[in-house]
Amino acid sequence: MDEKFKQRVQSRYQQALQRGERFWPDSIYKDLLVSLGLFLLLIGLATFVGVEPEPRVDPNDTAYVPRPEWYFLFLFEFLKFIPGQLEWVGAIVVPGIGVTVLLLLPFIDRNFYRHYSKRVLALTVMGVIVVDIVMLTIMAFAPAPAPEQSAIKSMQMWAGLIIPAMTLILLYAFSGILKEPASQRKTMITTASIAAIAIIVLAGGSAFTLQRNAPPKEKVAVAGTIPEQIAQGEELYAVNCTECHGADGDVTVIQGVEGLDGKVVTPISSKDVMYTFTDDTLFNIISDGLPELGMVPFGTASGGELSPGEIGAIVTYMRYTWDDRVEVPEAAQGGGIPALAEGEVPSYDVHIAPLTKRYCVSCHRAGKENNNYLMTSYEEMLNTGDNAPNVVAGDANSILLQVIQGHEVEGKTGTINIMPPNGKLLKDEYVDMLIRWVMAGMPQTAEDAAAAATPAP
Amino acid sequence: MASKLYHWLNERLGFDDLYKGLLDRPEPRGTWWNTLGSATLFLFTMQVMTGIFLLMYYTPSPDHAYDSIQYIMNEVAFGWLIRGIHHWSATLMVLLVFLHMLRVFATASYKYPRELTWVIGVFLLLTTLGMGLTGYLLPWNQRSYFATTVATEIAGLVPGIGAFITRTLRGGTDLSALTLSRFFAAHVWMLPALLTVLIGIHLYLIIRHGESEYPTEED
Repeated sequence: MDEKFKQRVQSRYQQALQRGERFWPDSIYKDLLVSLGLFLLLIGLATFVGVEPEPRVDPNDTAYVPRPEWYFLFLFEFLKFIPGQLEWVGAIVVPGIGVTVLLLLPFIDRNFYRHYSKRVLALTVMGVIVVDIVMLTIMAFAPAPAPEQSAIKSMQMWAGLIIPAMTLILLYAFSGILKEPASQRKTMITTASIAAIAIIVLAGGSAFTLQRNAPPKEKVAVAGTIPEQIAQGEELYAVNCTECHGADGDVTVIQGVEGLDGKVVTPISSKDVMYTFTDDTLFNIISDGLPELGMVPFGTASGGELSPGEIGAIVTYMRYTWDDRVEVPEAAQGGGIPALAEGEVPSYDVHIAPLTKRYCVSCHRAGKENNNYLMTSYEEMLNTGDNAPNVVAGDANSILLQVIQGHEVEGKTGTINIMPPNGKLLKDEYVDMLIRWVMAGMPQTAEDAAAAATPAP
Repeated sequence: MASKLYHWLNERLGFDDLYKGLLDRPEPRGTWWNTLGSATLFLFTMQVMTGIFLLMYYTPSPDHAYDSIQYIMNEVAFGWLIRGIHHWSATLMVLLVFLHMLRVFATASYKYPRELTWVIGVFLLLTTLGMGLTGYLLPWNQRSYFATTVATEIAGLVPGIGAFITRTLRGGTDLSALTLSRFFAAHVWMLPALLTVLIGIHLYLIIRHGESEYPTEED
């Protein structure tokens, strides 16, 4: 940019000032009038349209379709066209390029001229982008077409993105061509047009086939229905809560938990709790803990490990398991630990795993004080522990069977306590189940158990 | 007496110089399209004022945010009006910033000597969008919760440092009380402070170079 050009710009500006107006009062008058109009418009909107009411946050509502503020909708709609693995290109790279170009515009656009007739390319680019943004925004507001209408969707994609993009490329090509001598123009225009049409057809065809053959999107497993939430909640409860509150939520004095031994707790499955605490209250207690009573917070918001959805599942599980006013949906029944028939031999997969999951693994897993006896899998249950083996096929004196029947055992590293440690033995049927299992040789699968049940020929 | 007082004050504060320097300036002949910038500034002032009123009742905690807004809407005298203005003014502000940018582009006003005015303007646009994004979460309702979840997820798509950005924005792995207080701090302090500084520079540059004239055939 030479000095001459700068001087020309400055002198022309001075001339414009001569012919111009005063900032005060001419310009200010218009500004104030527009501001006043806006102010009245705002009061009108606030009074007659108002702010759309929205329900309170419910992180468990997985069916909620998120919707950004309207001025981000075009980006949101644009992202829908981008296949999953390329999402970062659509969400980061394209807007990133857009913002960079916008920022550096004065340095990219080296055209000295300012009049519209001399800036056709720049104005067309801007126009196409604006039309694109407006179209995408309108499409986002229109109801989403059903999956079988994907052809319509791809037509929209054509109208909204591909055609404008091709127009731009063509325009750019032509602006170069027009600088060539007239004799060459005609052939070049013809070649460019044919090439452009070929590209459009090819791109469109491949986009259409891609869309038709695209594999259905993988669904993310979110516990949605009540039975699913109960099942998820049961598992989370066993791992996070059983240690202190007991598998059935009826513990009144915590035993065998480091730092909390002997603490008095409210039996959380009691009617007192179930009838007086709402789901929200339960949710908040689990999430934030009760520090003055020794309960640690579990929610990620307070430094714990459970997401709001997981805490919600625990609350659902508690409500449907202990609150006698709630009816359990049919699909949720029949889960848990199956009962044994007369003479039936239990197997690890069918009976013992659900039992240990509910009553044992909250302590008998890695990272807890448990004499290194882990019970999260069949192999661990048979082989781990300082006093291994804790179960011996056919041995009624196996350590596991002794402690669950209320007998302390002298082990290699000291006395082995009665289990579960909270002073309340397992229900008789569960003790019986474990005895039968060990006596039958600890079958792992249902087939093994059936084989053990039939006397060998 | 009054003129004596005026003279005394003017000697010390310099009203006359201010009037000459800021208000009594020549300008190229403008149209109604030239009011878009000042209209945006007006909406920004509205946002600051209504925002301060809302701040008196709003509580940025997950337990109380929703209820405090219900309180503003139903109990506080004219609370519904203040919030309504804040809401709609935000919407109009984004629209006007966008239109203002289009006008500047169309008349090529970003060219010499006003390149930096444009660059600052783009930063103003981005900060305004940032205000919209952070303000959207504060009511702590379904829409704001899930929209912010998606928005912070999108930020996580940045190759390499995406996970870090998402964690920083959310203050953890999930949306939580920390996210709310971070967005609140950004919405009422960081971004408004940034906006104020940027607007100051923008206005200074406009006064320094004057408003651009509409291009003629010869430009």
